[in-house]
Amino acid sequence: MNKSWKSYNTGDFFDELVTPKGSPRASARRVVNMLQKLPQEEMADRRSAAELAIREMGISFTIYSEGKNIDRAWPFDIIPRVIPARDWDKVSQGLAQRSRALNAFIDDIYNRQKILADGILPADIVLESGNYKPQCAGMSPRFGAWAHICGSDLVRDKDGRFYVLEDNLRVPSGVSYMLENREVTKRVLPELFENYSIRPVDDYPSRLYRTLASLSPRDVRRPCIVVLTPGIFNSAYFEHSFLARGMGAELVEGSDLFVGDDECLYMLTVDGPQRVDVVYRRIDDDFLDPEAFLEDSFLGVPGIMRAWKAGNVAIANAPGSGVADDKVVYAFVPEMIRYYLKEEPGLASVPTYLCMNEKDRDYVLANLDKLVVKPANESGGYGLMVGPHSTKAKRAKFARLIEQNPRNYIAQPTLSLSTAPTYIEDKVEPRHLDLRPFILNGKDTWVTAGGLTRVALVKGSLVVNSSQGGGSKDTWIVEDSQ
Amino acid sequence: MTMLSRVAERLYWMARYLERAEDTARLTQAYTHLIMDIPKGSEPGWDILVRILDAESTYGNHYRVFNEPNVLKFLMADLDNIGSIRASIVAARENVRTTRDVLPGEVWEHVNELYLYAQEEAEKSVGRRNRHHFLEQVSTRCQMINGLIISTLCRDHAYRFIKLGHLLERADMTTRIIDVGAGALLGDERNHPLVDPLIWAALLQSLSAMGTYRRTIGPLVEADSVVDFVFRESTLPRSVRFCLNGIRTELAPLKNNEEALRILERSRRRLSRFRVEESSREELHAFIDRFQTGLTDLSDIVTATWFQPHPS
Repeated sequence: MNKSWKSYNTGDFFDELVTPKGSPRASARRVVNMLQKLPQEEMADRRSAAELAIREMGISFTIYSEGKNIDRAWPFDIIPRVIPARDWDKVSQGLAQRSRALNAFIDDIYNRQKILADGILPADIVLESGNYKPQCAGMSPRFGAWAHICGSDLVRDKDGRFYVLEDNLRVPSGVSYMLENREVTKRVLPELFENYSIRPVDDYPSRLYRTLASLSPRDVRRPCIVVLTPGIFNSAYFEHSFLARGMGAELVEGSDLFVGDDECLYMLTVDGPQRVDVVYRRIDDDFLDPEAFLEDSFLGVPGIMRAWKAGNVAIANAPGSGVADDKVVYAFVPEMIRYYLKEEPGLASVPTYLCMNEKDRDYVLANLDKLVVKPANESGGYGLMVGPHSTKAKRAKFARLIEQNPRNYIAQPTLSLSTAPTYIEDKVEPRHLDLRPFILNGKDTWVTAGGLTRVALVKGSLVVNSSQGGGSKDTWIVEDSQ
Repeated sequence: MTMLSRVAERLYWMARYLERAEDTARLTQAYTHLIMDIPKGSEPGWDILVRILDAESTYGNHYRVFNEPNVLKFLMADLDNIGSIRASIVAARENVRTTRDVLPGEVWEHVNELYLYAQEEAEKSVGRRNRHHFLEQVSTRCQMINGLIISTLCRDHAYRFIKLGHLLERADMTTRIIDVGAGALLGDERNHPLVDPLIWAALLQSLSAMGTYRRTIGPLVEADSVVDFVFRESTLPRSVRFCLNGIRTELAPLKNNEEALRILERSRRRLSRFRVEESSREELHAFIDRFQTGLTDLSDIVTATWFQPHPS
């Protein structure tokens, strides 16, 4: 065993590759054995090779700092995360089930509102949420699919059980990095692929294309699909461009599109206006259409909501899908699954305390040092408080915030996020991670094999976001027979 | 192949700015060599380089005197001068940054490297010692990028609009280079029978046309034959006629090209009718002025027809 692995200790956490006794898990045995046998210098060489590949392939993300946009190389750890297929298939079914229920919920909310009438969840928390868009009432998109692309965040607790942490139904990003991570691993650890049967991930762009094409309002052989980006300054521009290329679709900005007198959507091309059938939009609802939402948005397309409501263009994800992407609504997803699908949830949700309920609120305020407190409506890990890592002043601040606006806060027990061996400087050490699989909903529901694993590179940290010091790993779903 | 109007416009300007950077580098290079050849007292002033690019008013905002360090800094390194080599490269890069998807990957890499090079070196290269190396690097790198585009890019709309920008800018710059030779710019007092052939030879050099000129016309470098050659030699890639013919080829397959072709034909006719041997230097200068206005009209029509079409 090379020196860098010598002091590896999983501590109190569930480790993805190593058992508490220190031996590799069955599914990860070959990976761990091979890496432990690599001389230390070669480990470092492989890491440099990965860094070089990332620069050459131009895999980057943009951060905004000191008034400037900076393109950063994508942070990547060479040690893959291994999940046995038999475990994954259960998770995957749970995700598909969850996503079907969420879509049924959105469709219900904008139409009959049966779930509210039946008192399964209180009407005011849905209808008074900023994510509920009255402009969408009465719409029923094809196949009842609203959130066509869903990126749920999963974590594993001490016992190794998967929990859904949140459902991202608006414009989830990260899938391009899942694909690029696999490309990089193939380059730098090619020998590992000889001994494993690893489920491929690179069919995502064609799956996405099929899902989007199935939404086309016109029955044509090759519908016109565009990816709508806010532009080069967006942190996920790399991904927008990556997916457009992968699907052979045009990457457009709002100013490239217009709605004609016939209520159809067109893009401006050198051959004249060309009809657009499906818009994969990567801008938020609020910026989508200055006629319907924020008036001063330059990113969107005036009238696109009219075209959508007239059934002349499909928008993915459908406007208004965010209504189910709310941390308060999250608490009710298990109920939704029972209500719409008459099934028991296949995937666990994290127990959630709603500060809007007096009993829950009292409990939260009394246990701030043990809980994670989150605003109902933020993403990217901003504005949350991790109780056990917080200061007295921060807890006082959050107590005030909760009392001022209880609807806007939820709290959850602090999970012990699982870890995986991560190559830090010249040592392999455990680091916490999560997993973001992607679920596609159109005519059918489809789940990626694995997803994007994000890892907190700072020792002990639970924050995995790349904008805040997070890295990533390739994620392998490996067949059990081995 | 679908081509978004916005993308077409950015490709067109990428090509214009790259060509402008290269041509300005060539012109500056040729002029520096020329000044060294001409006896003290008869050499033309540095102001010509500024006037040739119609940049007197921008220049006046920053400098008072037309001396070598000022003019060269203005042409090579000033970001306030949108026509400077460095500013042209910055603008070209901005246009490639947002159109990377339709270009071969290497184009972005090389444009980005050229940008980093100019950011690093432009300011330091204003003095005579490093100037030659910098200007040569700029024109070589621009040519390499053009070569990449020619040898890898599919002949579709993307190529067509790059070509249009490239040829329009080149036609414009070639006429400006001729204008240096025209007496109207030099001023009669500077016209010198000994100096004249040196100037025309330097101008031919800046167009990479000296060799072809000798083989086609002969060893004697005379004003009228140089002007005629650079205007109308249809086999010379930097001649005005070659550029106009190329523009016609690229316009032909585009939709709604009638207006653009009409304006192009007007310029082509003007060029055919112009008789250099019957014109004074003032008339030559006036012709070039009118011709450049025609090119601006053409660029305006290209913009209105394909880049900013009115949604209908």
